[in-house]
Amino acid sequence: MKAIIAATILGIIMMYAGFVVKEKKSVLSIATLLFVLLLGVNVWELLTAKPGETQMFFNFQLTVTPFSLWFNTLMTAATLLYVLLMGNDIIKVGKHVGEYFALFFFILVGTYMLSSFNNMLIMFLGIEIISIPQYILAGSDKRNLKSSEASLKYFLMGAFSTGILLMGITLIYGATGEFNISKFSFLQLEQVNPMVLTGVLFLIISFAFKVSAAPMHFWTPDVYDGSPTPFTAFMATIGKAAAFIGFIRLFHTSFATISDSWTMVLAIITAATLFVGNITAVFQQSVKRMLAYSSIAQAGFMLFSVVSVSALAWQGLVIYTVAYTMATLGMFAVLLKLKDYTFDGFNGLAKKNPLLAAVATVFIFSLAGIPLTAGFIAKFYMLQTAVAQGNLMWLVIFALIMAAVSAYYYFRVIIAMYFKTGDPEMASELSGIDKFLLVLTAMLVLLVGVAPQILLPNGI
Amino acid sequence: MPIQYYLFLSLALFCIGIMGALMRRNAIIIFMSIELMLNAVNLLLAAFSKMYNDSAAQIFVFFIMVVAAAEVAVGLAIIVMVYRKVHSVDVNILNRLKH
Amino acid sequence: MNLFLLNAATNSLSDYLPILMQIFMAIGIVAIMMGGSHLLGPKRKTKDKLANFESGIKAIGNARQPMAIKYFLIAILFVLFDVEVIFFYPYAVNFKELGAEGFLAVVMFVSFFLIGFTYIIKKGALKWED
Repeated sequence: MKAIIAATILGIIMMYAGFVVKEKKSVLSIATLLFVLLLGVNVWELLTAKPGETQMFFNFQLTVTPFSLWFNTLMTAATLLYVLLMGNDIIKVGKHVGEYFALFFFILVGTYMLSSFNNMLIMFLGIEIISIPQYILAGSDKRNLKSSEASLKYFLMGAFSTGILLMGITLIYGATGEFNISKFSFLQLEQVNPMVLTGVLFLIISFAFKVSAAPMHFWTPDVYDGSPTPFTAFMATIGKAAAFIGFIRLFHTSFATISDSWTMVLAIITAATLFVGNITAVFQQSVKRMLAYSSIAQAGFMLFSVVSVSALAWQGLVIYTVAYTMATLGMFAVLLKLKDYTFDGFNGLAKKNPLLAAVATVFIFSLAGIPLTAGFIAKFYMLQTAVAQGNLMWLVIFALIMAAVSAYYYFRVIIAMYFKTGDPEMASELSGIDKFLLVLTAMLVLLVGVAPQILLPNGI
Repeated sequence: MPIQYYLFLSLALFCIGIMGALMRRNAIIIFMSIELMLNAVNLLLAAFSKMYNDSAAQIFVFFIMVVAAAEVAVGLAIIVMVYRKVHSVDVNILNRLKH
Repeated sequence: MNLFLLNAATNSLSDYLPILMQIFMAIGIVAIMMGGSHLLGPKRKTKDKLANFESGIKAIGNARQPMAIKYFLIAILFVLFDVEVIFFYPYAVNFKELGAEGFLAVVMFVSFFLIGFTYIIKKGALKWED
């Protein structure tokens, strides 16, 4: 709760900072400082919370658990890492630098709300608060038509899915007379009527839109490709994680008792997402577009946590989110250093810049799920939850096959870097800080791969 | 009046909105269709609110209206931005520009 | 409410067979209809047919006149600030019950409002003359 207030106020400060400070670099420094401050507030709230205690706010509309505090802290840390890694590229996108950072703060407010809502109203507000700034961020490169196009597309699709989400909420309200999600958990399978089922189905469709799961994924490649690259990185990582925490929170706290009626639908969506994401990624020529499809494929793995209803799934989601976020942010940071975003643009990078190639390899390994990296342990957790579920073996086997397919397109980058000759053009030289941060991110990826329990402290 | 009437009316409006959003090519009309979807939801919420004698749903309607207004502001700005570039709000033109 | 459409307790794979058949039927009919009309129908496109129908009078000029972006900006901001006032309705109804705490909440709400308002003024969104 403190974090929500702090993020709002810091976002407003950031908004006004753009008037006072004209120098773009100074705006970046202020933003970094404020993000550190926000992380401090998060850590403070996490440390002062009693273990296992649930705090209620606003007449039971917001239940802050240690888990949600921990998730908020991780997401804030990820945003800070993102700003540190790509700050210099963010300020190059356009004129209104202060506003971009302000929008990140507001997206974080939405994330905090989604990690601790207990009422459909707060969920709806949280989803809108993360969505609307993302529409703006997608179109922030005003000179570029592709960016405007991406923004329009994202906006129309997002607004459409919001309509479906609201219809789902309304139908469930009509059937139960409640917006409070913890009260839905008393729904029993026998008393499920078509109205509840339709509502749940609408909610699944809408959330599948937000997390870009398969039948509703078609906006993702265009939007991620068209948006300015630093903002694509943000949307693909923190924006997606925020939608996922809302998804798992809604379905596991409220519809767990009627899980028999929706797990199969979601399992099929998961399989379709894995299939479409991985198979289409194989045919891409641009690494940026490949990462967009790979984010669909990774969303398929994250959906495992929603499909299998257990406490393990929440932990798995935390590990997967962090692993995926770090690796993707790192990969986009590497991409931003290059001029040419095609696979050929990576040719011979290992010769020209061995450090950049090495960290890129770590990120690629993590995304592909090679052992000793965070991605492996994350995929392992996800599949384990599905195995524990019992009746989802077919999905696990399918996911393993798809993970093998994903190795093909991920390794194309490595082959281009190490085994092909060429002279990649750099967009900017690596400064000492850049090198340090990239290596730090790579080390974190490896650290989580070796010791995942650091992401799961006691009491969450 | 029984609740079914409201339910069927709002679902009909909602479906008209969905069909409009999926079949029209003009971005503004798509947008209007989406607004129609949201208003169908508002109507249904108001009807349910009366049925359960619970004002929470009406407050929800207020929130939907406000969020929709915020969305209108952002959305229209985006549409104008696109219009100033290509002098059209036809979504098919945008698809042609894909590559 | 008695819609009895779905009975979640007894679903096996064979129950979905009619749905599958219906999907195939639907896709097949649509494909045949569209393909048939495409193959059989005559196609003569002339300039007159593609033009807008204006009661037989020739269309002159473009209906889309350039419009000053200022009007539009003001209109959007008006919508935004106009709709926010909606939250005063529930407050007005419960004015007495909410007491001092409710008043503080509304003051906070209005101050957020003012922050946004000063922001757009500083941004120069309400300047008429350039």
